[in-house]
Amino acid sequence: MTGNRARVPVVLRALLAGAVALAVVAGVAEAQSTLETVKKRGKLIAGVKTDFPPFGYVDASGKNLGFDVDVAHLFAKALFRDDNQVELVAVTSGNRIPFLQSGKIDIIIATVTVTDERKQVVEFSDPYFLSGSLLLVPKASTVKGLDDLAGKTVAVVQGAIQDRDVEQLQPKANRIKFGKVSEAVLAVKGGRAEAYAHDDVLVLTLVKENADLKAVGKPFMPRPYGIAVRKGDTDFIKWVNAELAKMKQDGTYDRLWKKFFADVESNLVKP
Amino acid sequence: MTPAGAGFSWSAIARGLPYLLEGAGLTIMISAVAMVVAAILGLALAALSQAPGRLARRLVAAYVEVFRNTPLLIQIFIVYFGLPQLGLKLSPFLSGLSALVFYAAAYNTEIFRAGLEAVPRGQLEAARSLGLSALATLRWITVPQALRISFPALGNNLVSLVKNSSLVSTIGMVELMFVANDISFNNFRTFEIYGTTAVIYVLLVLGLTRLLRVAERRLLRAA
Repeated sequence: MTGNRARVPVVLRALLAGAVALAVVAGVAEAQSTLETVKKRGKLIAGVKTDFPPFGYVDASGKNLGFDVDVAHLFAKALFRDDNQVELVAVTSGNRIPFLQSGKIDIIIATVTVTDERKQVVEFSDPYFLSGSLLLVPKASTVKGLDDLAGKTVAVVQGAIQDRDVEQLQPKANRIKFGKVSEAVLAVKGGRAEAYAHDDVLVLTLVKENADLKAVGKPFMPRPYGIAVRKGDTDFIKWVNAELAKMKQDGTYDRLWKKFFADVESNLVKP
Repeated sequence: MTPAGAGFSWSAIARGLPYLLEGAGLTIMISAVAMVVAAILGLALAALSQAPGRLARRLVAAYVEVFRNTPLLIQIFIVYFGLPQLGLKLSPFLSGLSALVFYAAAYNTEIFRAGLEAVPRGQLEAARSLGLSALATLRWITVPQALRISFPALGNNLVSLVKNSSLVSTIGMVELMFVANDISFNNFRTFEIYGTTAVIYVLLVLGLTRLLRVAERRLLRAA
């Protein structure tokens, strides 16, 4: 019996010791600028989305495409004169910042909306896109905007800003949260949720691809997207900003805009 | 350069803990219900597979192969997202619960079947020659012994069930794993929150294995 009683604390002690050891290791990592590390490695590791057209998605053959994906390739070209020297890592709204913090990726180019909370934990570039939020609803729905959603179920993606926005703007709605865009869309299609709130450009693109859905509402709470690197990594973010400025000057940005947003352009706010 | 968010934050744990414990409540609830139903279903199917004739045995075998050989996540998605398209819309709780039950019961069926088949044939012959009916033999001779033989394997499967219940977080069930994601996606204290969550799972499983040990001892004493 005494043996049994002693076992619990031992397990807990082992867990705690492991936790503290890992925390110490995490604290001392991160000695040099990521820019140096990337140059030495000869390859940029970028977190992009795979379920967020037109910024980050995957075609039938498994190839990464999208505005953010093109930006990642352009960064690789600027660094190594070869736009293929980039490894693309799939991230979601929920895990992208933990991926960056844990060193799995060098940079997040994945539709990160700039918020004060996020500024505490990552370094943001200058804004490169402006997005409000829209509602995705079934074609037959009578929902016209957030006002109609009191007492209704609204799907959001975990870690996305709409989770907070809907809570604030329509507190009477019942939010149901999913890990991925595709799951939230399925929830609307299957009647699990009356609406799905996410970034305007995503909702408009999803409507193009799904004839049984429509976009409603006026884009609410427009906010900028930023590229993010680890907190305090000022060298790297300066480099990112310089590259973004170059892209805007030499017409690359406009070319990308036309390539990915041409058919939803009229509904977007150009920064 | 040290990231501003670095270092271990006890306050993140203190702030998150009440929500995590609330989530653990649902984890306990869905696991407990799933355990009981899956144990009964598994035992019933295992007994059915011993019935004379091939049909019952084949049906049970087909069920086991289908549910044991597909990922639980797919089963959860089929019940939650797929069945509504066929007109069967279960609540998120029932969707998660039924997927957990059918998955765990498939393993339980195999565990109990192995237990039933491990009871020496001589026992059955002796019972029958003493005039017990087939059903009475099953109830008084085979099942009690099979249960004892199956118990350690059953315990393992129940522990798996508690951990597998984390997968229902994907369909918006606000259980322990879901709450852990929700907190860490907003405060970015990944290590602290998932670490605490892991500790809570350890405690839940330790509690469960304790209970199982008590139950096993009673079973042995009853025999």
